[in-house]
Amino acid sequence: MAIIQAHSIKKHVVTSAGRLDILAEINLAIEPAETVAIVGASGSGKSTLLALLAGLDLPSEGHVSIDNVNLSNLDEEERAILRGDKIGFIFQSFLLIQSLTALENVMLPAELAGTENPEQQARELLEQVGLGDRLTHYPNQLSGGEQQRVAIARAFIGKPAILFADEPTGNLDRATGATIEDLLFELNQKHGTTLIMVTHDDRLAQKCDRIVRIESGCLQEAEYA
Amino acid sequence: MRKPWLAISWRLLRHELRRGELTVMALAVMLSVTAVLSLSIFSERLQAGLLERSAEFLAADRVLRSREEIDSEWLLKAEQEGLEVAQRVTFNSMVFANNELALADVKAVSELYPLRGELKTALEPFVEGEVTQVLPQRGEAWVHSGLFQQLPLALGGVIEVGEKTFTITRVLTQEPDAGFNVFTDSPTVLIPYQDLAATGLIQPGSRVSFNYLFAGEPSNLERYEEWLLPQLDTLTQRWRSVRDEESPLSSALERAERFMLLASLLGVVLAATAVAVAAQRYCQRNYDAVAIMKTLGGTRPLVSRVFTAHLLLLTLFSVAAGLALGFVVQAVVVWCVQSQLEYSLPAASASPWWLATLTGFLCALMFSLYPLLRLMRIPPLRVLRRELDGSELARWLHWIVSGGTVLLLMWLYSRSLILSVALFAGGLLATVLLLGIGRLFIRASRQAGMQAGSSWRLAMAGMQRRARQNSVQMLSFATAIMLFLLVLALRNELLDDWQSQLPETAPNYFVVNVAERQVDDMNAMFAAENIVATDLYPITPGRLMAINGDLVRDAVSKEERDDSNVRDGFGRELQLTWRNDLPPDNDIIAGRWFEPGEQGVSIESEVAERINVKLGDALTFRIGADEFTVPITSIREVNWNTMQPNFFMIFSPEAVNNAAATYIASFYLPQERKHELYTLFRDFPQASLIDVDDIIQQIRSVIGHVSLAITFVMFLVVLAGSLVLVAQVQATLEEREQELVILRTLGARSHLLSRAVTYEFLILGALAGLIATLAMEIIIFLLQTQVFSMEPSVHWRFWLLGPLLGAGVVAVLGGLTCRRLLRQRTATLIRNLV
Ligand SMILES: Nc1ncnc2c1ncn2[C@@H]1O[C@H](COP(=O)(O)OP(=O)(O)O)[C@@H](O)[C@H]1O
Ligand SMILES: [Mg+2]
Repeated sequence: MAIIQAHSIKKHVVTSAGRLDILAEINLAIEPAETVAIVGASGSGKSTLLALLAGLDLPSEGHVSIDNVNLSNLDEEERAILRGDKIGFIFQSFLLIQSLTALENVMLPAELAGTENPEQQARELLEQVGLGDRLTHYPNQLSGGEQQRVAIARAFIGKPAILFADEPTGNLDRATGATIEDLLFELNQKHGTTLIMVTHDDRLAQKCDRIVRIESGCLQEAEYA
Repeated sequence: MRKPWLAISWRLLRHELRRGELTVMALAVMLSVTAVLSLSIFSERLQAGLLERSAEFLAADRVLRSREEIDSEWLLKAEQEGLEVAQRVTFNSMVFANNELALADVKAVSELYPLRGELKTALEPFVEGEVTQVLPQRGEAWVHSGLFQQLPLALGGVIEVGEKTFTITRVLTQEPDAGFNVFTDSPTVLIPYQDLAATGLIQPGSRVSFNYLFAGEPSNLERYEEWLLPQLDTLTQRWRSVRDEESPLSSALERAERFMLLASLLGVVLAATAVAVAAQRYCQRNYDAVAIMKTLGGTRPLVSRVFTAHLLLLTLFSVAAGLALGFVVQAVVVWCVQSQLEYSLPAASASPWWLATLTGFLCALMFSLYPLLRLMRIPPLRVLRRELDGSELARWLHWIVSGGTVLLLMWLYSRSLILSVALFAGGLLATVLLLGIGRLFIRASRQAGMQAGSSWRLAMAGMQRRARQNSVQMLSFATAIMLFLLVLALRNELLDDWQSQLPETAPNYFVVNVAERQVDDMNAMFAAENIVATDLYPITPGRLMAINGDLVRDAVSKEERDDSNVRDGFGRELQLTWRNDLPPDNDIIAGRWFEPGEQGVSIESEVAERINVKLGDALTFRIGADEFTVPITSIREVNWNTMQPNFFMIFSPEAVNNAAATYIASFYLPQERKHELYTLFRDFPQASLIDVDDIIQQIRSVIGHVSLAITFVMFLVVLAGSLVLVAQVQATLEEREQELVILRTLGARSHLLSRAVTYEFLILGALAGLIATLAMEIIIFLLQTQVFSMEPSVHWRFWLLGPLLGAGVVAVLGGLTCRRLLRQRTATLIRNLV
């Protein structure tokens, strides 16, 4: 039974230059615990697809369901709650809240969800990503790699069923990127999370169970690992 | 119940405060609170102090003047209201000594007199007196120096008033309520109230003025007034307070109050502008945080609560800090001023505290409303599409809310809707004007930078691209600079104006009752003794009988000579004068001065308004037994602040036909020559002298500490203005940090960039300064002519100061902020951008 399903979704936007079709017609089903890489040239619509799959945006046509819930039938608040419940995120630019410490950034999703005492859990996660001694540091006191590790810890705190990552190593140098990748896959393995990752790094894509490629708005199922 | 949003917002606030990220917003709110609190406490205390001081001129807070004795129940009621009450009965009477007689102004005063101010007495005539706490005992009289000139008096000798003989025990040198009416004063003889009956002079039909003096808490006074005023007989009774005196002090006071009010209103508006700029920025910097929280599962109500609580907490913190600071500032200022005053300032009421708190919350919440609403609409998708910044909300909503708040603040602060609306409308107009001019200037500067070096070219290109935002920035720069210049210029104007009216050598004596045949002698004496004196003006009492042939009401009844204040006429005798030339410090505002040989009268403008006459109207006067009719040929504005004889009516000499007159002049005699007075005027026995030194000193001290107050207000306005500039520069540059960083990573060296920014701000600042100066001149012209009744003037120095100040301050702030941004942010931003 697929955890995420895209039913012929299309996305177009209206700009001053006219209508722009970003995604043509995309069908996709992702199984629980599967790891999927979305690859494609820059500007091909990877992030757009990711946003639709995660319920950050709605498709122009077709619909996405998560756990058989049609996201198009939910309003923005219900989608937010669903995201808080089931989904974790990691972004290229880390997107930590600058005025919260590493620990508080990790606690944030749990607090928004109303979890009691998330601090212990957050500490453990930061310990696991190797930042046990940097709990009270602010994001701008951490290196890029360290910030991304905080972001990873934050992504796992809600024990999400699905993890979305948009070019998680895009802003990092090769060596740091590699450690982040390892960490990501390791935690993913441990929690049995479904991972959907956008990347243009082929080597990273190869680590996934499955690679899909976007080209001129269409999806091509690429090679299986 | 758990409130996760409260915990989150508290945590955000704590860190942000510690890291200085909210400094500008917190400072702006704090400053507006500090400004409002300290200004309103200070001006309230100062005003109360000044009023108290001015009350000395009445010897009380309120005086009821009546032609007959009043119902004793009225006095009882006053005492029940917690007021102090004293009585003063005055009348003119011949007094005798050694079989010679002279006209004196007899004052019988009761215990407690004076309720405000002090009596001064001496043990010989024509010397500086000392403050005296007691009053003449029964059978004793204190006599004014002037009477020693006219009668063979001696201390310890006797003087007869009516049927009673008094022993002269002291020389009266100063009474607080001597008054400014220099025309009619005869020397005073002060006797105890208990001896009044024994003089036998109080009889039905005698012209006696009964004065009842009241003093006490303002609220008690008001309550009493409410009770009393409806019962007064307006024809024979008159209720007086300091404010309705036509005294130099009250006009100085009024102007000072207007200035304080205006300047502090501007200060409050400036502080509010700082809050508005900062609030915008506050919300912008939280765009990401909102998007992240929404992405991570925060619903809109939850996120809204987080940021609303955050803002409320921040405001609470800033308001509390502002109140504390405001109190301290005010206390320090009062402490400084206090050393210059001989009296202590009364405490302020609670209302400044409410006003300040309300201002803080209003500013913070109302100006943040629109940005906050926009903040809440940030879609979670922003985490992936970084350029999304919320769907456009109707802008007009923002303008209406902000404009409404400013108006509300002005109204709360000034409690005058008319003033607020007028200032607001003026401000609106100025804003549109500034915006328009700003855009024109920016467009025109396009060519200018093209040939210049690379930093300049970059600066110019930057300005072109951001013409729209820049004109808004320019607006806030220009507003801040303009308000600053305005307050500075007004302050200088006011102080100069006062100084010029009361120069060191302002006349400090009046001489009245000079006989016609002695005019030449007196002028010769002034010249010989090197005394600076005004011309000797002839005066004669007369009455206005008819306007354009219609009898004025008081012309028909002789009963109401003294106290009636009938609207259609004067209700009293006027002191009339005539001369060939316009007196100094009189300005003709309608008509023209007399041609030689012409018959006419020149009337003072406020009086003309009061009796509702205009140029060309025919006025009928009676002097003695003569009646004559003359047209109004000019309307004059009179500067009442000057210590010279001033007149409501001035006739052309031809109109009056040699009426019998006495003469009056004022002159300046230095303190150290005071002892010469006796000898100087020995040859003019019937002339009397009136000493106005004390009044002048009092006015000087009022002006002195009002200047201090004004300087303090200016300091606050400067602070508020600087904060606006800092907030705006910071907001401007932070909005552009991405662009700066991109240029940086493209290889632009950081000193090139910060120089480009400095140049851009140099141009912006200079333009803003220029526009500000222009606007300032227009506004100051309006204020001078409409509000302060002063001569309009052009401020050439400011045309240099404005642009220089603008360019300097804005460029330095811009350069510094830019350098700081580049240093701090490049590393982080580059990671985010690549
Ligand atoms: N709301 C939008 N308005 C205009 N253009 C958009 C919008 N959303 C996406 N695009 C355009 O669609 C294309 C795909 O964007 P994106 O999904 O971010 O690509 P990728 O992540 O593969 O680099 C880009 O050219 C982008 O500019
Ligand atoms: Mg992308």
